[in-house]
Amino acid sequence: MQRIMLYVEDTPGMATAAAWALRLARDMSCRVFALSVVDPDAPRRRDTQTSDAEERAWNQLYEVEDDAFQKNVRISLLLETGDPLPKLIGLSTSYDAELIVASADCRLTCSELVRQSNRPVVFVK
Amino acid sequence: MAKISELLPRSAIVLNLQSKEKFEVIGELVRPLVATGAITEESEFVSAIVRRENMESTGIGVGVAIPHARTKAVSSIVLAFGRSDSGVDFNSLDGKPSHLIFLIAAPEEQKTEYIMTLARLSKLLRKDEVRIGLNKAGSPDDVLRVIVQHES
Repeated sequence: MQRIMLYVEDTPGMATAAAWALRLARDMSCRVFALSVVDPDAPRRRDTQTSDAEERAWNQLYEVEDDAFQKNVRISLLLETGDPLPKLIGLSTSYDAELIVASADCRLTCSELVRQSNRPVVFVK
Repeated sequence: MAKISELLPRSAIVLNLQSKEKFEVIGELVRPLVATGAITEESEFVSAIVRRENMESTGIGVGVAIPHARTKAVSSIVLAFGRSDSGVDFNSLDGKPSHLIFLIAAPEEQKTEYIMTLARLSKLLRKDEVRIGLNKAGSPDDVLRVIVQHES
């Protein structure tokens, strides 16, 4: 395995999922693509601004990047806007990720991700 | 938390980068920060930046790169900005050269502020109007005006 797609979201379980993915990447000398998706429809649901969501997303991505750097793991950050599920599936395909890692408490519908993705998915709890 | 415009000294704004290669560009941006005293050990800081550049891409796409490092060789968070007309290859995922390059130097112990600065700068530079303004800026004061105008 050479490439892991890590889906990054602001949930309590995110740090555990990121740590797991980075450990696996270090042990297998993989490159990590850390992806965060700003959903423009989410602010209306959660009463927050899209610009705040974007800053939070970058914040989480750079937290993961800093940890990756300390662990000598190669990482690339991706920030996208749109519907998270198709973005995650599409980018996993275009970057040829061999594994998708997400937190078990992410807001994606887990069963939909597993059903629609043609790559293995690990939910970390 | 300091604003981006407050972290960018006028003397560290280089509107016509001479170098074409990314490590030479980084050198051009580090020198004014050494002169301000914010970077206390130039070779140690450059080593940290080079190590990161060799491990990952700091090109965030849309013609922007943000090389950065957090090390003991820095006394306070500080930024430098350089503009390259020809563009510099920072291995961006979109494959495009970087024309707007912001370098961030931070002390080892200021992780939270460092990450927040990276996040705020990345958000700022994704705005088309900011990049257009920085590309058109004719002086360091113009650069600071564009940033002040758009940072919240």
